[in-house]
Amino acid sequence: MATRSQTVAALPARPARQKQLVLVFSRVWAWAFLAGLIAFFAASVSIQSHGDVNFLTIRNSQNILMAIVPVLLMGLGQTFVVIAAGIDLSVGWIMGLSSVVSALVNVALIDKGIYEPLAIAIGCVAGIVAAMIPGLINGIIIAKLRIPSFIVTLGMSFIARGVAFLLSGGNVVGGQPQGVRDLGNEALLYLISGPNGGLYFLRAPKVTGEALRQLDRILQWPVVITFILLLIMLFVLHKTQFGRHIYAIGGNREAALRAGIPVDRHMIVLYTLSAATAGIAGVLSTARFSGGSSIAGDPLLLSSIAAVIIGGVSMFGGEGSVSGTLIGALIIAVMTTGLVMLNVQPFWQYIVVGVIVILAVLIDQARDLIIGKMEAG
Amino acid sequence: MSKRVLISFFSLVVLLTTALLAQAQVKKPKIGFLPGVVDPFYQVMEVGVNEAAADFGLEVVTQYPQTWGPSIQTPILDAMVARRDLNYLIIAPTDKEQMVAPLQRAIDAGIKVITVDTFLGDGDYVNGKVTFPISYIGSDNVEGGRIAARALAKVVGNKGKVYIQNTNVGVSTTEQRGKGFKEGIAELKGMELVGEDYNLDDAGTAAQQTSAKLQANPDLVGIFGVNVFSAQGAGNAVMAAGLGGKVQVIAFDATKDAIENLRKGVVSLVIAQKPHDMGYLAIEFAMADARGVTSLPRRVTTGYAVIDAKNVDDPSIARFIYRVGK
Repeated sequence: MATRSQTVAALPARPARQKQLVLVFSRVWAWAFLAGLIAFFAASVSIQSHGDVNFLTIRNSQNILMAIVPVLLMGLGQTFVVIAAGIDLSVGWIMGLSSVVSALVNVALIDKGIYEPLAIAIGCVAGIVAAMIPGLINGIIIAKLRIPSFIVTLGMSFIARGVAFLLSGGNVVGGQPQGVRDLGNEALLYLISGPNGGLYFLRAPKVTGEALRQLDRILQWPVVITFILLLIMLFVLHKTQFGRHIYAIGGNREAALRAGIPVDRHMIVLYTLSAATAGIAGVLSTARFSGGSSIAGDPLLLSSIAAVIIGGVSMFGGEGSVSGTLIGALIIAVMTTGLVMLNVQPFWQYIVVGVIVILAVLIDQARDLIIGKMEAG
Repeated sequence: MSKRVLISFFSLVVLLTTALLAQAQVKKPKIGFLPGVVDPFYQVMEVGVNEAAADFGLEVVTQYPQTWGPSIQTPILDAMVARRDLNYLIIAPTDKEQMVAPLQRAIDAGIKVITVDTFLGDGDYVNGKVTFPISYIGSDNVEGGRIAARALAKVVGNKGKVYIQNTNVGVSTTEQRGKGFKEGIAELKGMELVGEDYNLDDAGTAAQQTSAKLQANPDLVGIFGVNVFSAQGAGNAVMAAGLGGKVQVIAFDATKDAIENLRKGVVSLVIAQKPHDMGYLAIEFAMADARGVTSLPRRVTTGYAVIDAKNVDDPSIARFIYRVGK
């Protein structure tokens, strides 16, 4: 985004307005699409069910936020990598590896009688560290040996998969303490709607029957953690020198090198970071499903890459933002939930996501083409 | 002004119609059906579900996950719960441990749960780890595995090396079939198990692993494919190696492919579950529970049909072949 607005400022005044329009459209269409999608589902779900089923509920919004957690976390690191003109295909299985490691460590420490919250904290850190190791190796090979990121991370995804299966024996690692399940399922706020309802902070009210039925968990811990991370990543990308360097590396690696940017070091950090966010996704998956599963991340990898592309991150590098990835992830999750509520086969989701991915790139290319012509004319 | 009046009038009409419709529906439960993944087994189960729903005049909402696993099944489950109009959920949980927390949410939201095909926890809903579902309706898979072992032994004359093509560890059904098969083989002195591989529910992987096993063990006499994709892959590999008839493939699940292979002599025996009955029974259980029946059994096994080349055309057996439509 930063580079784009700089380009605009440097242009002559008159065609600048048209250019501004094109730029604004290319930036807001995904937001508009998301808003349209939500409006469409709100209306169609209500009409189809004769008003019995409501799409716009607190519970649904929280479901959607929980659904985007792993996709967004993998997408966050991926956004950084793709802005730097790379790709990380290993995050799916790295997420599984992290899930397994954290679950195994939890079980081992609890068996030794270590204080539960401490054991869980160590388990979480262990999962994230286990994820960062393959990420670090990715970064070193890509930066120092100059092997394309596509190939290195593809290879690493198989390695992570194998290690995850070996550690878990192919099993789901169960036997998790209650605290792990709480981390993945409990929330910041609890709302009971209705006449005898109320808003509760941090502690789930002990209720049964109709009140339990009306109990909504608002901002579950995985969502809170993910959004704190999102804010940190947003800050790093737009407000720090490291962030600006990433855009520079993605825009033109040689120029970045000549400008004295430590490209290799940044690349190593980037791939480690990407693996770390996938690692957090793995730890949170262990918490949500109270079990470590090596296959937790693989089915979500392509969705996370799709979210990055829909969000407007250029696969050629140098362009994009974390907020775009958030929109991409939301579009996919809203679609899954909406189609299920409409009782449409969720397979349609694949087709629609596919169309949007291609459309997103087309819009970006059309923008560049139009602006290029304007500049030439 | 007229616009506002029109809108108010229209909303009133909509409200009244909704209220009337709600009145008309005399407390018939609305049911959600969430299978594990798209495959012929669950599609036949859906036929049973739909038949029973039609017989009782119930409405059923069915959703298929695109791939197997809690990370895909849970968002669909959450969306079904968020509808807030379902009273019962018939689900094949994709993991006995990991789906407990997500399904607890459905219970909290006031939805009653019946698990079909796969169970939660240890499958004992009376004294076990998980007791919230009404019932488990499925096959006794350990027994199914034993049946497969005995049948295979009979065909190969009680001696030789055998191999298991399994899907994923952690899935209660296939884990137990493998276990039952191993127990059955262990009882026979002349039989030896040379391995078990996991194909992650992919027929291509199953074929590849089986090819490798056939090369490593040229004297292999039998393979047990624990589900649709496993048996299909194993059968394809045996055919590709030109070993049709020499290596006996026992297929679990009576898909059309499995039956075709049976007719060609590549598969010697097909163990058919009764998914149609599972689906039909699950709806009956929901209906009974809604009417206040409290004595429903917590665990029901629907049994097996054993299909071979001789009885495959017998209508009383052929009805267990997994066929959707005509």
